[in-house]
This record gives sequence, structure tokens and C-alpha cells, in this order.
Amino acid sequence: MRRTPIVIGGTVAGLVGVLAFHTKSAPLSLPAAAGAAPAAGSAAGPAASPGPGGTRKGASQPASGTSLSPSSAAQQASGVRTAVGPAVNYSYGVLSVKVTVSGRKILRVGIASIDDGGNPRSQYIDEQSIPMLEQQAIQAQSYNIQGVSGASYTSAGFAQSLQSALRSLSAK
Amino acid sequence: MGTIVTIDVYTAAGVTDAEVAELCEQLDRARSVLHHADEVFSTWQPHSPISRLRSAEITRAQAPAEVAEVLERCATARDLSGGWFDPWAMPGGIDPTGYVKGWAAQNALAAFSAEYIVGAIVNAAGDIASLGSLRNGEPFRIGIVDPLAPRQLAEIVDLTGAIATSGSYERGNHLIDPHLGCPCARAASASVTGPDLGLADALATGLAVAGTPGLAFIEPLDKYEALIIGFDGSRRCTEGFPLAPHQGTLPH
Repeated sequence: MRRTPIVIGGTVAGLVGVLAFHTKSAPLSLPAAAGAAPAAGSAAGPAASPGPGGTRKGASQPASGTSLSPSSAAQQASGVRTAVGPAVNYSYGVLSVKVTVSGRKILRVGIASIDDGGNPRSQYIDEQSIPMLEQQAIQAQSYNIQGVSGASYTSAGFAQSLQSALRSLSAK
Repeated sequence: MGTIVTIDVYTAAGVTDAEVAELCEQLDRARSVLHHADEVFSTWQPHSPISRLRSAEITRAQAPAEVAEVLERCATARDLSGGWFDPWAMPGGIDPTGYVKGWAAQNALAAFSAEYIVGAIVNAAGDIASLGSLRNGEPFRIGIVDPLAPRQLAEIVDLTGAIATSGSYERGNHLIDPHLGCPCARAASASVTGPDLGLADALATGLAVAGTPGLAFIEPLDKYEALIIGFDGSRRCTEGFPLAPHQGTLPH
């Protein structure tokens, strides 16, 4: 299945569209022209600014389409690749998801960056919910689904960043 | 507040460059729809028409036409939900957010139209509008997050059209009971499927507040089905709710 993700960079008032074409034949490949899609300038978007004294772990990703260009998908030996999705809002701040795949199989899902603005309740969320969401992502791939619907703002944000990272790898 | 919207388009084999160009144009149109909806309806922007309406800076007649359309549809949704979805009963003034996200995503989906498009999904942070199906004719499969165990899926749905899920199990998701005027939810999560995501969104919001008795306002609606997950993990759904057969059991 060939995927030609066309990433629309930039956001206006926090919305961004990512388009993935799923066509029937042709081998799996990363897009050659991902960077050629019009990047609509400003990176103003879903990433909230970090609160004072907020915990910030790892490198944060800009909330623009450039984070999904092929150059961000680290090429390793033996077909194992990683990508980081865009920063998205969740209940306590901003996070981005990192996914590692081998071929079409998800090996690992984790948090690439998380900024909770120093909210004291968020530490519980970070320590409990995030690992659970990571597990869920790996589990979901065994059910052959095309999307997840949930009321959780955290899981929605997490799922969105993960989906975008997977798109950049053409590995979903 | 930012919402990532992802769009997947499934095409027949051998899509040409011209067709890809056409799809890019349709994507641009879908993006415009989403951006425009945010500009008009974002309650986070103090100068958006909806904010100015809420603060009585402008009247309904002075607001853009889309506002009137959305408010009209919210009134219909309020009636259909027996008053459990009521954007007029929100603190701070009229707040159609529970309808607008789905409405905008459904309109964005409408930008995609071509013979070589087999299916398409617009996913607005878990509120999903779809048309068509997978290439092999099988329906799209959508997982519903288990509100009591967010690492897991509670159910899988065979999706035709749209699905929206509303719930109360996380901070920041204050579901206001329009009858009481304060936050009160009687279900961990409520999912509604049906042809229109805007209405599904509103109905799911009302249903999460109403709880299991609210299934009574979904049952008579042609083509709309619902699933409620209680705080005790129990599931109740309308008769035609499109649960997908799946191998093995989903861990609970």
C-alpha cells in the first residue's frame, strides 16, 4: 500500500489538516514530496506556551508540518524507524508522541515531549495515564482499526500526535 | 485550545498525478472550512463572533450567517435530546462548542468528492466523520476508548457515517447538566453513531449527562445509535448500535 502523506504545515487558530492517501498497489514508501506541500507560514497553533515553572522533558516539537517531513524520521539499520508527532494539547498542557516501527509493526510508543505547566495534578496523569496510553497504542494495532473515539482530552491528543507520527512513517 | 484534525482519504488503485492535485485542492477546501469554523466559533478568542455574541457585544442578527445556522441546529439538537444538550444553559452564555466541532468536521468531509475516492475519514480529536469504506468494501473500524482504563479499548465499532464520544472521566471535560446548571455526568462515556457528526456530537454530550435513561431519546431517532459506559464499567446500547465482531476479547 503506497501512502503519500501530504503534510500541511502551519496552523491558523490551532487547526491543522494532515492528508494521507491510501492507494491499493505500489510498495510502501516515504513521501518524496512531503516538504513540497505549501507550508502555511506561522507555527501558531495547538502548542500552548509553557507555564511558569512547568516541567519540560525532552525536546519539544514545533506544531507545524515540518516536524513530519522525512528528515525527522530517523533512519536506522534493519528498517527500524522512528518519528515524532506534532505537539498537541492535552488536559494539563502539551505533549508529543514518539513512535518506533519496524516495517508496519509498532514496536514502541512513548512521549517525546510533555509540558504540564507545573500543574500539581498533572504529575499523576503523567505517571499513570501516559504509560497506559502508550500500552493502548500498541494494543490497538492488533485490532486493525482506522481511528479511536474517546472522551478523554488526553487520549485524544495523544492519539492525534501518534497518528501524525505514524503517517510520517507511512507505517500504519 | 487547539485541535488536531487528521484526514485520511482512501482511493482506488493507480491514482494519477492530476487526481492527486485535485485531492490537494479538496484538502485546501477542507482546511478552510476548519479554520473558518475556528475563527467564528472559538470561545477562546475574545473577538470571535461567538465570543462577542456571548458578551452581548453583538446581537444574533449581527453575527455571521453560520452562527444563525449553528444555533438553529443546536435548537433542534436540544429538542431531540429532551433538553439534555442545551448550549443556552451553559455558564458564560450560549456555547455551541458541543455541536460545532462535529459540524465543522462534517463540513470538511464534504470537500472530498471524486469517483476514485473509495472512502474518507475526518477525525477531529476523536469525533469522526466518514464516507465510504475501506478499499475492500469493509466498513471502517473505530475503537472506543475505555473510560475506566484509558490504556484499553472498550469496544470496536463498524462505522458508517459519524461517531462522537463524550465523557466526564477527565478534568477539563466539565459536562454541565442543563437542568441543574452545574457539572454533573451520569455516565463515564457516551458514544453516538449516525449520519451527521454535528448532531452525533450534541447527542453524545447530552447522553453523557443524562446517563442510561437518555438512551430513550436516541432510540426513536432514525439511523442514530448509542452506547453508554457506566462508572461501574457496565455497557448499555441501543438495539442497532454497530458493534464490530472482533477476534478475542478486549481486555477490561
